[in-house]
Amino acid sequence: MAKEKKIIKMPYEKRKGMYGYGFIALWFVGTLIWFLYPLANSLMYSFMEVKPEKGGMKGTWVGLDNYIYVFTGDANYSKYLVNVLLETLWKTPLIIIFSLFIAVILNQKFKERAFARAVFFLPVIIATGPVYSIINGNISSSGASSAGQFSTMFSTDLMGELFQFIGLYGINENIQKMVEAVSNNIFGIVWNAGIQILIFLAALQNIPVSAKEAAQMEGATAWEYFWKITLPYVSPMILACLIFTVIDSFTSPDNAVMGRVLDMQKDWQYGYAAAMAWVYFIIVLVAVGIITLFLNHFIYYEVD
Amino acid sequence: MAFFKKKEAPVKEGEHVVGNGLSKKEIRQIHMRNMNQEEIAYLKRKEAMDKVWPIARFFILFGLCFIILYPLIYMISCAFRAQEDMSDPTVMWIPRHLTLKIIKQTMNAMDFWNTLGNTLVLNIGCSLVQVVTCAITGYGFARFKFKGKNLLFGIVLMMILVPNQIIAIPQYMEFRYCLGIQPLMEKISPKLGQAFNLIDSPLTMYLPALMANGIRAGLMIFIFRQFFKGLPKELEDAAYLDGCGPFKTFIQVMVPNASSSFLTVFLFSVVWYWNDYYVSSTFFTNNSTIALMLKNLNTLLSLELFNSATVEVSPREQIIWMEAGCLLAVMPLLVMYTFLQKYFTEGIERSGLVG
Repeated sequence: MAKEKKIIKMPYEKRKGMYGYGFIALWFVGTLIWFLYPLANSLMYSFMEVKPEKGGMKGTWVGLDNYIYVFTGDANYSKYLVNVLLETLWKTPLIIIFSLFIAVILNQKFKERAFARAVFFLPVIIATGPVYSIINGNISSSGASSAGQFSTMFSTDLMGELFQFIGLYGINENIQKMVEAVSNNIFGIVWNAGIQILIFLAALQNIPVSAKEAAQMEGATAWEYFWKITLPYVSPMILACLIFTVIDSFTSPDNAVMGRVLDMQKDWQYGYAAAMAWVYFIIVLVAVGIITLFLNHFIYYEVD
Repeated sequence: MAFFKKKEAPVKEGEHVVGNGLSKKEIRQIHMRNMNQEEIAYLKRKEAMDKVWPIARFFILFGLCFIILYPLIYMISCAFRAQEDMSDPTVMWIPRHLTLKIIKQTMNAMDFWNTLGNTLVLNIGCSLVQVVTCAITGYGFARFKFKGKNLLFGIVLMMILVPNQIIAIPQYMEFRYCLGIQPLMEKISPKLGQAFNLIDSPLTMYLPALMANGIRAGLMIFIFRQFFKGLPKELEDAAYLDGCGPFKTFIQVMVPNASSSFLTVFLFSVVWYWNDYYVSSTFFTNNSTIALMLKNLNTLLSLELFNSATVEVSPREQIIWMEAGCLLAVMPLLVMYTFLQKYFTEGIERSGLVG
């Protein structure tokens, strides 16, 4: 009997699997046309000198020349690349810490909570668009610009003044510089943390009530509660947020490397542009891979 | 149950005086007397925290809310002021000369109502199509076992990771020559050739969306997969037992269960299409969406105000028009956000982006 059952079961599972192909077929065809083929093409361009011609691109094989040029011939590219990498390196942890902090606050009960939440999620709908680059440029531009009188509010050395006021003179130039960088970039951090706050908030609401009650019974302070309950429970989301933040900042059309790639494309230098984009993309991949491997050690998964 | 508990609960010394005409303070003092040093310290600390924290929280949130709202307030303040207010140092937030002139000029320059209609049709159309196709794909990845699934899902993750800029040029070529069909058609007749040049046609947006490859499609497939994985399997098993095929099950059982998630993803999709200017600027040479109009507002404004594209307006003068343009571009999103905020924020949890 059992054998017979198995024989009947196998084709059913297989048939169901075939339906799976049916469900993803449309996407697969689309991906072949609109994603994989262009991707392969652009990889090919990066090894070629490409000239647009009637009917398509004509390229001659130049091997690694484009890649060599990207690093040796183009002074701007390496500079932009290092800048973008460094900026991502210090901004990402700040965005994560900030969004977790805000999520914890927004998870508490208080009167204006609904309003505060609405405001903090507002960047989610605006920060991906051209409006953001205008207001961002508007705020970070100082001096002669029209918004000067307002942007001074954000661009003056508030932190330095504060340090002097407290009486800390030149404790450590580097630390002071770091703090200044943070305080001057608070706008960028707040405006890029919308989705992360959302994700953390959802994770916080998923913390089981039993854990909360147990902590209360033991008389845990808010501080202990945060480190021993909140953090372990949201740790999987920290990884998700980290990856999201890294990808978000790397692929934004506003960043300098992407800008450089676009400039090259406008100059009809498709080969160089493709090589630049690929170098950049591989760095992003490696970065995401390292983050994932590294953080996986510290993540607490409830279901093992 | 509750009744019994009340009876069994040990009555502490001093508790019987509650309600005997003592003030709250006195009751608390009696309570405190029964506690040891540690408990009292804990309570005092907690009390202090409970008093200080709301104030601190208010200041933190107020400051940060101001940072977020600052550009919006500035937009509104700029858009309704006259030109001379810009160089008036006494004008900070509230303009001295309230006027609608700037808004009207910007609207003319952007051809606002036509562009708005065009953008809305394009965005909503693409989003609708894309949500449906991404949901189907996501369901396929969530519930079926087939060979090569992991590899294929790897491609979905690649779609999230690969920046658009890498594949933009080859995609442009695909649309320009319609996958190699266009040159053949042009040989037959130039008019037919023109028809197969897809650049500037809305098809450049619709076609990828129709095949679950539009803007941020990878992310949407991922979200739907997570969501469908989270739904109980018994739902489908029941349908299968009743003789439903997988496609019918998907449409009649899964989709109704996923409606709120559909709405959330749809809203996000509309926002992403609305905000996109990179993809659309690659495929459109005439400005036909709000985002593109905003990007080219400089030239458009010079054309509108001075009848020439080359006149440079000083950035100081320009800012009011720019801010007015921003306000116009953000307004529809803000209206949508105000009314549907719940679906943006609560939907995320349900849509399975988390977990």
